[in-house]
Amino acid sequence: MKTSVTRIWIIAVNTVREAIRNKLLYTLLFFSVAIIGTAVLIASLSYVEGERIIQDIGLAAIRLFSVGIAIFVGIGLIHGEVDRRTIYTILSKPVSRAEFLLGKFLGLLLTVWLQVILMTVAFVIVTSATGSRIDSGHAAALFLTAMELMVIVALATLFSAFTTPLLAALFTLGVYTLGHLSRDMLALARQAEVEGVKVAATWLYRLLPDLESFNLTIQAVHGLTISPAEIWLPMLYAVGYAIALLFVASFIFQRRDLK
Amino acid sequence: MAGDAREVVQVDSVVKDFRPGFGLRTKRVLHGVSFSVREGEIFGFVGPNGAGKTTTLKVLMGLIKATSGRATILGCDVAQTEFRRHIGFLPENPYFYSFLTAREILNFYAKLSGVPSAGRRDRVDTLLNWVGLEHAADARLRTYSKGMLQRVGVAQALVHNPRVIFLDEPMSGLDPLGRKEIRDVVLRLKREGKTVFMNTHILSDVEMICDRVAIIVDGVIRYQGRIEDFLIEDELWSDVVLSGLSVEATTHIEEAFDARFHGVGERIEIRIRDKDVSAVLQIALAAGAEVISLSQHRVSLETIFIDAVERSEGGGGES
Repeated sequence: MKTSVTRIWIIAVNTVREAIRNKLLYTLLFFSVAIIGTAVLIASLSYVEGERIIQDIGLAAIRLFSVGIAIFVGIGLIHGEVDRRTIYTILSKPVSRAEFLLGKFLGLLLTVWLQVILMTVAFVIVTSATGSRIDSGHAAALFLTAMELMVIVALATLFSAFTTPLLAALFTLGVYTLGHLSRDMLALARQAEVEGVKVAATWLYRLLPDLESFNLTIQAVHGLTISPAEIWLPMLYAVGYAIALLFVASFIFQRRDLK
Repeated sequence: MAGDAREVVQVDSVVKDFRPGFGLRTKRVLHGVSFSVREGEIFGFVGPNGAGKTTTLKVLMGLIKATSGRATILGCDVAQTEFRRHIGFLPENPYFYSFLTAREILNFYAKLSGVPSAGRRDRVDTLLNWVGLEHAADARLRTYSKGMLQRVGVAQALVHNPRVIFLDEPMSGLDPLGRKEIRDVVLRLKREGKTVFMNTHILSDVEMICDRVAIIVDGVIRYQGRIEDFLIEDELWSDVVLSGLSVEATTHIEEAFDARFHGVGERIEIRIRDKDVSAVLQIALAAGAEVISLSQHRVSLETIFIDAVERSEGGGGES
C-alpha cells in the first residue's frame, strides 16, 4: 500500500512539474490575473455596487479559467501519454495502470489548485486595494470551486482514458454545462407530463454532477450567511463523485490495449 | 516464484486478434506463438516488418492483452506488476518527457522502480557514464538527437539493475559506432549474468551477439534454436562449379545424391553435402567434366531468414 501511494505521488509530482514547465499555462494564468485586474476598471464605470462587481468578476474569472485549464490539460492527460508512447516505459516499471491514472489525476488536480491559489492571491490583492470586504464567505466560495475542479479533473481523466482529446473536450464541456443545469432537469422531471421525459430528466439529474451545489458566489459577494452543511456536504459529494469517476476510468483503462 | 528457473521468459500458444475498427472483422496478428528464453542468454527475436515482433513484446510488457495463450516472465503472469522491478524495457524509438533532463528522467524511473534513495544518485551517474551521456546529463531531452534518446532509453531500462532486459530494435537510428556501443552494452549485461531479449531485424547484430534466435513471420514462429545449430548445419554444404558435365553424369549425380543444380548450358553449379564432394567429383571427372571451382557454402542467418519469409509467402508450414 505504501509503495503504491509512493508511485502515485511520484507520477503526480512529475505531472505538476510538466505543467510548471509549460509556458502556455503561464499565458492562461496571466490572462486570468489580467481579467481580475480589469474588474477594477469595469467597476469604476458603475455608480453603484462597484465592490460587488469586482468580486463577481474576480470569482467568475477564477472559476472559468481554472475549469478551462482543467479541461484543456485534462483531455490529453492519458491520451497524450499513449499517443506519445511515454506510457510504455512507465508501465514497464512496477506501476499498475490504476496507479498511473491516479497519479496523473492527482498531478493535474494539484496543478489546477496551484493556479487557483495564484489567482486567489491576485483577487485578494485587487479586492484589498479597492478597500472591499473579504471574509470567510469568499474562502468558502473558493474552497468549493476547488472541490468542483476535483470533479471536472476526474471527468476529463475519465474521458481521456478511452477517447481522443477532441471528443474528451466535447464530453467534458457537455457534462460541465449540463452539470450546472442539473437542478433544472429535476424541475423539468417534476413538471413534465410525458412519462418518458419525466424518466429521462430524472435519470439525467441522478447521473450528472450537481455542479451548482459548488457555487457560493452569490452568498460570498452579498455577505450572506453560509451554513457549515453548505460546505461539507458538497465537499463529500465532490470526493465521492470523483472516486466513482476514477473507478470507472480505471476499469476502462485497465482493459485497453495500448497499441 | 513459480516455474522453471532456467526459463525466465515463457510464451505459450499466444494468439492476438485486433479489430481494425468498429464493425470490421478481427485480424489475427499472432497465431499461437510459443518460445522460451533461458536465464543468462541473449535471445534474438527476428522477423520482417509487420511479422508480430513488437506485438509479442507488447504482450510480454502487459501493454496489450493476449486473446488466448499464456506468457510469463520469471514465473509471473505478465498481467502482474510487482515482478516488473526485475525487468527492463527499451521500446522501439523511445519517447520521453521532453521537459525533463536525462538526469531527471533517470531519477524518475529509478524512483518508480523502487531504487533506494541511498544509492540512486550514484546509479544514475554510473548509467549516464555507461551510455556516454554524462556531458549532456543536465540538458532537456527536447534538445537530444535520436541516437541520444536511444541511449537514454537504454539507461532507463537498466537503471534499477533488472535481471531480464527487453530491447525493441535497440540499434534503430544509430550509426555504426552507436550500434557497436549498444552491442558492447548487451555483451556486458550477459557477462553480468543478465538475460537479454532483443527484437531486431538487423541480422548481422543477431549473428554477432545472440545465443539463440527465433524467427517470426506473419505471426508464426518459423525457426527457433541456437545460432550455432543453424550455421553448423549450413557448413555441411559445398558449391561445385563444373563445365562440360554430360547429361548422363548429371542424372547420375541427381539420383544418387542430395544435390541442387543451378545454371544451364556448359557451366553448372551443384550444391552438395560436404561428405559427398569426393564421390561427386569422381563421377564428374570420370565423365570428362572440368572443375571450375569448389567452395564451402556457408549460409548466413540472412539466408535462413529470407528462406523463412519466402516459405511463408508460399504458404509453407511451421518448421
